[in-house]
Amino acid sequence: MTDPLTDIPPGGSGRLFLELNAAWAIAKKDIRIYYFKPNIIVSGMLFPLFMFLAFAVGRAAEPAVMIPGLIAITILFSASSIEPVSIPIERRTRTFDRLLAAPVSLNAVVLGESLSGFLYASAIAAVPFAAGILLFFVPVQNPVPLIAGVLLTAFCFATMGTLFSAYPTESPGDIMSMLNLVRLPLIFISGIFIPLSSIPPILRIVAYLSPLTYGNNLISAAFSGTSHFPWAVDIGMLCLFIAIFQVMAYRLYRKFSD
Amino acid sequence: MSAIEARNLVKRFRNVTALSGISFSVNEGETFGFLGPNGAGKTTTIRILTGITAPTAGSASVFSHDIVLDTVAARRSIGIVHEISNVYDDLTAWLNLMFAAELYAVNKTERERKGSELLERFGLFERRNDTVRGFSKGMKRRLTIAMGLVNSPRLIFLDEPTSGLDVQSNLIIREVIRELNADGVTIFLTTHNIEEANLTCDRVAIINRGQIAAIDSPERLKKTIRSVQSVEVAFDSNTVIKDEFLAFPGVSEVRKEGDKFRLFTEDPAGVIEALTSYAHSRGIRILSMNTFGPSLEDVFIRLTGLTLPSHGVKAID
Repeated sequence: MTDPLTDIPPGGSGRLFLELNAAWAIAKKDIRIYYFKPNIIVSGMLFPLFMFLAFAVGRAAEPAVMIPGLIAITILFSASSIEPVSIPIERRTRTFDRLLAAPVSLNAVVLGESLSGFLYASAIAAVPFAAGILLFFVPVQNPVPLIAGVLLTAFCFATMGTLFSAYPTESPGDIMSMLNLVRLPLIFISGIFIPLSSIPPILRIVAYLSPLTYGNNLISAAFSGTSHFPWAVDIGMLCLFIAIFQVMAYRLYRKFSD
Repeated sequence: MSAIEARNLVKRFRNVTALSGISFSVNEGETFGFLGPNGAGKTTTIRILTGITAPTAGSASVFSHDIVLDTVAARRSIGIVHEISNVYDDLTAWLNLMFAAELYAVNKTERERKGSELLERFGLFERRNDTVRGFSKGMKRRLTIAMGLVNSPRLIFLDEPTSGLDVQSNLIIREVIRELNADGVTIFLTTHNIEEANLTCDRVAIINRGQIAAIDSPERLKKTIRSVQSVEVAFDSNTVIKDEFLAFPGVSEVRKEGDKFRLFTEDPAGVIEALTSYAHSRGIRILSMNTFGPSLEDVFIRLTGLTLPSHGVKAID
């Protein structure tokens, strides 16, 4: 029988319900509090735009090549911008202790934090996408890799943002600094400005270690109709990175909550 | 069934031992005080009992659920009020409460009913749609406690619930603690206010340097240190010198407290006679005279080895 005071269904599905319910509650809380914070807007929306303009203006590349890159960079920065701000602030105000003491696993907390970054990036990605369609008349050849690419890349980098935020600091600047050490090189090694087929073999190996490579490849395939990897490889690798980041985040939050 | 069972809890942080094998149990429906100076291990104990941190050794259970092996089930019965009022300043009071309820999967009908009831109870209903940023310290504290109760817990951890609050907030919170106790909710209370523990707790544990120094009812603990009985006296003259009383038979210590003197002794009757003779011989009048048994604070000081402020160190913090 269902508990009259809760929504928890009976049986084994009750635990899963609890976890997902709490994750959604955490995501909603983050949406209400952090989406419109100035530092989130700067790092999640303006920073990727300026980064893109800095490297794309003056290049002779076609919009059909540049728009997927802009979408990928936007997702990279916006998805990984919520938690590095929200979690250190919540450590400082001790509201993070509420999440650590909630009747759910740390996996649900990590998932909830990542969900807000995922939703944010998925929505922000619509801006460069709309610009490509409306201003540059770039057609989408196939919406399937676009949707898969946007959603998986957004979730992957949101989880990466949550992972970096496990570092036990109360200053968002500390996390952002560490994160930029990873995010900025990813832009240059992931085939956004230089196609994977044109970079030296040694750097190509490094590119294969970047989740942005697979996200960018999927999104580019939607616009160009061609792809460096089969979609299944892109999707599989992004799922693998998500799983790795989730497990690492779980372990680090466990370690640092001690 | 015990609400809490702690068995030989040990917690080490690298080279520092925060808890050295403490054991205690808290009965269901009991108000249990947990007292100790800063750094004694109070917060570490709460963090272990709420599953935030794991013990290095030993075990603990809440309503028979092991807090390490069955953390989620144990936490479902718990409400936690942290020492700091950890509310979301950017959310309204209502949204803070609803978020706390959602973490516990309280259904919509129940959380809205309970939310309204708690805001009324804590005098915040009129401000429910205001963001918490503009709330006073006392209002935030009341909201924090309301958030700890929104899942109707069987056991609530109250960490310094009334510390530094205004009179209104203090009165509301103390009344709520009494009501919770009457409703059969188990209360685990840490406080620096020893008189509060004396008045509200069925039993008190005193922890010092990671070890339990004593566990018993406040009255039984007081009986263990009869040597700190005292006589408080006030005269109509301000020419009296404190040190003169140290010459009285059986007086071990004298403190000046405002316009009164407190003489510590094992023989209050003898000291009363001596004070009467002293006043008569000096030609001054005694305005008031009271005798006191040992306070819980005296027990605390004795067991934790704290030095009194008059000796230049510190009070209980």
